Amino acid sequence: MVTYAAPIDDIRFVMNELFDYQNSIPTLPGYEDATPDVVEAVLEEGAKFCVNELLPLNLPGDAEGCHYENGVIRTPKGFKEAYKAFREGGWTGLSCDPEYGGQGLPKTLQFIMSELIVSTNLSFGMYPGLSHGAYNALSVYGDDDQKQTFLPRLIDGTWSGTMCLTEPHCGTDLGLIRTKAEPDGKGAYKITGTKIFISAGEHDLTDNIVHLVLAKLPDAPPGSKGISLFIVPKFLVKDDGTPGMRNGVTCGSIEKKMGIKASSTCVMNFEEAEGYLVGEPHTGMASMFVMMNTARLDVGIQGLGLAETAYQTAAAYAKDRGQGRSLGGTKAPEKAADPIIVHPDVRKNLLTMRAYNESARALAIWIGMEVDISEKHPDPARRQEADDLVQLMTPIIKSFFTDYGFEATNLGVQIHGGHGYIHEYGMEQLVRDARIAQIYEGANGIQALDLVGRKLGQGMGRLLRRFFHPVAGFIEENQESAELMEFILPLAKAFGRLQQATGWIAQNGLRDPEEAGAASSDYLRLFALVSLAYIWTRTVKVSLEKMDERPEFYRAKIAVARFYVTRILPQSSSLFATIMAGKAPLMELEEGAF
Amino acid sequence: MSIEKVAVIGAGVMGAGIAAHVANAGIPVLLLDIVPEGATDRNAIAAGAVKKMLKTDPAPFMSKRAAKLVTPGNIEDHLADIADCDWIVEAVIERLDIKHDLYAKIQAVRKPGSIVTSNTSTLPLSKLVEGMDDAFARDFAITHFFNPPRYMRLLEIVAGAATREDAVADLTDFADRRLGKGVVLCNDTPGFIANRIGTFWIQCALVEAMDRKLPIEEVDAVMGRPMGIPKTGVFGLMDLVGIDLMPHVDKGLGDNLPASDAYQDLRRELPLIQKMIADGYTGRKGKGGFYRLNKEGGKRVKEAIDLTNGVYAPAKKASLSSVSASRKGGFKALMAHDDRGGAYAWAVMSKILAYAAALVPEIADDVPAVDRAMKLGYNWKFGPFELIDQLGAGDFAARLKEEGRAVPDLLEKAAAAGGFYRIEGGKLQFLDVTGTYADLVRPEGVLLLEDIKRAGEPVAKNGSASLWDIGDGVACLEFHTKLNTFDPDMLKMVGKAVALVPNKGFKALVIYNEASNFSAGANLGLALFAANTAMWPLVEEMVEQGQKAFLALKRAGFPVVSAPSGMALGGGCEVLLSSDAVQAHAESYIGLVEVGVGIVPGWGGCKEMLLRLSKDPKRPRGPMPPVSSSFETIGTAKVAKSAFEAKELGFLKASDGITFNRERLLADAKARALALVEDYAAPEAAELTLPGPSGAAALRLALKDLTARGLATPHDQVVAGGLVDVLTGGPGADITEPVSEEEVLKLERETFMKLIKTNGTLARMEHMIETGKPLRN
Repeated sequence: MVTYAAPIDDIRFVMNELFDYQNSIPTLPGYEDATPDVVEAVLEEGAKFCVNELLPLNLPGDAEGCHYENGVIRTPKGFKEAYKAFREGGWTGLSCDPEYGGQGLPKTLQFIMSELIVSTNLSFGMYPGLSHGAYNALSVYGDDDQKQTFLPRLIDGTWSGTMCLTEPHCGTDLGLIRTKAEPDGKGAYKITGTKIFISAGEHDLTDNIVHLVLAKLPDAPPGSKGISLFIVPKFLVKDDGTPGMRNGVTCGSIEKKMGIKASSTCVMNFEEAEGYLVGEPHTGMASMFVMMNTARLDVGIQGLGLAETAYQTAAAYAKDRGQGRSLGGTKAPEKAADPIIVHPDVRKNLLTMRAYNESARALAIWIGMEVDISEKHPDPARRQEADDLVQLMTPIIKSFFTDYGFEATNLGVQIHGGHGYIHEYGMEQLVRDARIAQIYEGANGIQALDLVGRKLGQGMGRLLRRFFHPVAGFIEENQESAELMEFILPLAKAFGRLQQATGWIAQNGLRDPEEAGAASSDYLRLFALVSLAYIWTRTVKVSLEKMDERPEFYRAKIAVARFYVTRILPQSSSLFATIMAGKAPLMELEEGAF
Repeated sequence: MSIEKVAVIGAGVMGAGIAAHVANAGIPVLLLDIVPEGATDRNAIAAGAVKKMLKTDPAPFMSKRAAKLVTPGNIEDHLADIADCDWIVEAVIERLDIKHDLYAKIQAVRKPGSIVTSNTSTLPLSKLVEGMDDAFARDFAITHFFNPPRYMRLLEIVAGAATREDAVADLTDFADRRLGKGVVLCNDTPGFIANRIGTFWIQCALVEAMDRKLPIEEVDAVMGRPMGIPKTGVFGLMDLVGIDLMPHVDKGLGDNLPASDAYQDLRRELPLIQKMIADGYTGRKGKGGFYRLNKEGGKRVKEAIDLTNGVYAPAKKASLSSVSASRKGGFKALMAHDDRGGAYAWAVMSKILAYAAALVPEIADDVPAVDRAMKLGYNWKFGPFELIDQLGAGDFAARLKEEGRAVPDLLEKAAAAGGFYRIEGGKLQFLDVTGTYADLVRPEGVLLLEDIKRAGEPVAKNGSASLWDIGDGVACLEFHTKLNTFDPDMLKMVGKAVALVPNKGFKALVIYNEASNFSAGANLGLALFAANTAMWPLVEEMVEQGQKAFLALKRAGFPVVSAPSGMALGGGCEVLLSSDAVQAHAESYIGLVEVGVGIVPGWGGCKEMLLRLSKDPKRPRGPMPPVSSSFETIGTAKVAKSAFEAKELGFLKASDGITFNRERLLADAKARALALVEDYAAPEAAELTLPGPSGAAALRLALKDLTARGLATPHDQVVAGGLVDVLTGGPGADITEPVSEEEVLKLERETFMKLIKTNGTLARMEHMIETGKPLRN
């Protein structure tokens, strides 16, 4: 069984000490009540729920999986009850619009809750997560009627949602989809086609399922400019708002897969299912991006959440498990063996996990706050700035967090030795669960292309400014500080590499897009490493200032920061070298020779 | 005989515009029109026309001074005054009886040997001289200007059978050198060259679009950029020139062309056009045209008409794969494409090109004359024969045959020979009407880089600029980036040129190029990207690199002459300021516009403006006047709209030369450079006397006043504040201690760096790059 306690203390540090949450989010109109006290109270409740209700279901849910029979899916034992409690606790509508029954709390809080849910039961989290994506799209693009019909049910969790994008022959390139939407002459559409890999496409947790489906109208222009978005409920909604007749959408089968086994992954068949157009015809891609952008951040957090559980479990194990003696001399003579945490390499693995986790959490909370600012700040210029930063960091968070999440959960297995490979310890499940996050919601390679292709050049680097200027300013302000020197110098060096690589890609990528493509994933990783170095250096600065208040806590922060800048950040140098090597080594080998 | 005084009779749009342009060339003009009934001011029409032109944008006059050269009058009281005019231009209504009547009066008073021309576009010369005596006919020709006369470079000249050869020569020479026109000699056939083909093109494009029920946005997307035609396409063009003109032009051409002419097949009743004219939808001058701006609901929405029913709807951006294909594959790819855009392009352009090929030698002696007329008169980037060569004359002829259409004789010849043009021994040749190639001979005094480039290799070259040997020991530095904006490579080439000129035995350097714009300044995109990624040392290095390059140019041991045409803005202006002399095309638009993007001139622009204004003997003395004057000019981003205005603003020196004819610019610049070679001494390092804090206080007071009056935005104040620092020499300056050029450059650099780190400046830069317009933040 895994060891896990919600990292409330660290979250508190990030919000209140590192990022000044109290003077930022509660000053936004609508979030006046979301004070640090309120946030903490909510989080403590949430943590209790996750640890007490969700965590115990995680391992058995993985073993049992979902049951499919004649188009009906039964979730693993206990899920239904847990979902009911989750829903009744108001967790499905945490950051949703109060006008439709939501709690109206900041997105920042939603992100933090996501981490806790993922840490305790990712499969479970998939169900409300998908609903939230559907909620986001409908709250922006739905008409009044659609909002009145669907939002309250999605918010109170009695209905759930899905995103039906992928088809057997296309995933990344959605311009190729074949699902058709024919007007039925009564203002609605008949949707026909097959969608695959639909998470939460069918299950027994809710009274109804609201599918958001991408399909093509008869007069659609070719490619991604011809895609429209439709609502297709599992049960047609009666005039009184309750589920009525079964619609022509059925689950054909579920996938047997590597991880997140308690989350149903469905093949959905639409046979002249009644659907309702969301927004204008042929603008489905834009609506999709609303769903996907926040969904991508959420997926990034999945990497963090799983890695956090892996770290806590591995750290506890390493302190407990006795095996051999320390290379530096016996540490626990009273025992037959020293705990394995005495070994430098074990420590390196643990510190790697922790250094990523703590800085990734801080980055996620920072960007979560910027999401709130981008939506609620009274000054449009400030909203734009915040949105720019969110846009820029979204592919980095999605891709880097899930990559390191996989790396960290693997290290968790490693620290456990043979036990890590055994199901009942829960570590191998984390690896399998983490693996999908690198793939869905835009594979990580696509995220890297998004970064170099769309985000880099936008406004001649305007998005970049929102990150580069604060970092450059921070370095400049603190370059004289003797205490910070050991952190500022490596940060400045890595930042310089990032600047140079950015300029190189901008210049060469403009001339030859393949050059940008060849650099993209290394560049994204370089960017991420610099972001975390910035977070760590700021963390050290705050820690030094506050040292006397809680010396143990801040000393630990500084030690982990030191590990990060000396043992992880130097990767920026090799990444820089690989970027500069250009596309030639990738393109030389002829296709036939592969 | 040289033409030193001109009379224009008829002060309508064309007559007045011609008079203005003659005045631009520094020639006194008498502008006459009729006496309006019951008028108190008997010159009201001509005087009113001049007054109106002073407010017109784009301006017909190149300077206010030019307007003073026009003397308004009327034909009742002042006709006798034409007696001392060397050239009399008639631009009255297109009615033969009225023209004949006027000619008789002119003939009675004009001096012997003076030249009389008509600006007619529809009447044949043979009719105009009918019944006139021989002396008149000998001195008579048609000079067909295009609207607006200052800006349209084409002048079609038609000589009659009786016209004196030397009269044509004198006119041509005057129009070419003094007015800067591209003269094309035409035969006396309806519509001459440009309108014969241009009207056919418009009519054909229109009826084909109607028959095919195409959206006009698509038509203009096809009939524009993909074929090197201005983006107004055909419907946008009709809105611009006036839809009410169409029936007249159509009738003029139709009545005069034989029934067998292909144009007659295109003529038909166009009820939509008639209705539009009747309803006042005559184009931009009316309520709108094929496009209109709908301002209902407070928003300005561009709408386009539906040709099938005359209903307006919001204009949509055309999306055609043929147009996309043309971005890489050019005109050929467009014509070969099978979507509706490609099919339409072929339907229209195949007719036009075949029509043009059938008209030589009927309307012009040779193919280059037709190409030139369309390029200068309709702003096409390529003439019809150049377009045929892009398709391949053989392929084009073959496709016509395949469709069972007639192939004109000349096209057959070109198909057999391999095209209408070829390059032989580094020289451009054209196919003459006999089917043999002949050298394209430029008029004397015309030197084109285009020709030099065809004939040889550059002395040095990189991706952004090249150095050419233009003969007689003169090198030419050519920029060739997009809009000729400065990037590091271009600056490198400036530095390299300074070294190469003496090393390779050149005596002088001319900076010149044949793009539409000399240089639009620094590459903002590069600077902005570097700034956005906080690469401050790189940004500063770019500033310093430019300063060094331009200072090296200034202090080089040989004469440097810059020859701008079109825009010379920001860095483009600073090149001029760093040159020993400038030979400017009259149509040069010069300015230090840096504040528009939130910065100050950083490549010596501030320094050079201060220097030249303080040295100008015509301006007030003392340390403050040059500072205030520079502050006003740079601080409000004033752009001179002609070389003459550039002199008034101090961007050009009184001694700098002005060339009217674009094609003569390089030769003039080269001559100027060579004239400077003897006894050349590079300017010595100068010192400036700057007022320091006391002067700064005065300027800040003025700025405060502007702010109080709502004329300066918040970021204007930041930028202008920076400019004050530079121009007054910074807080340490004092009138008693002159500062060096280097010190002012350092101030420019520091201020530039301070400003580019502000969000306001970065927002301005981004806005300029994305929209092409300054942001008022």
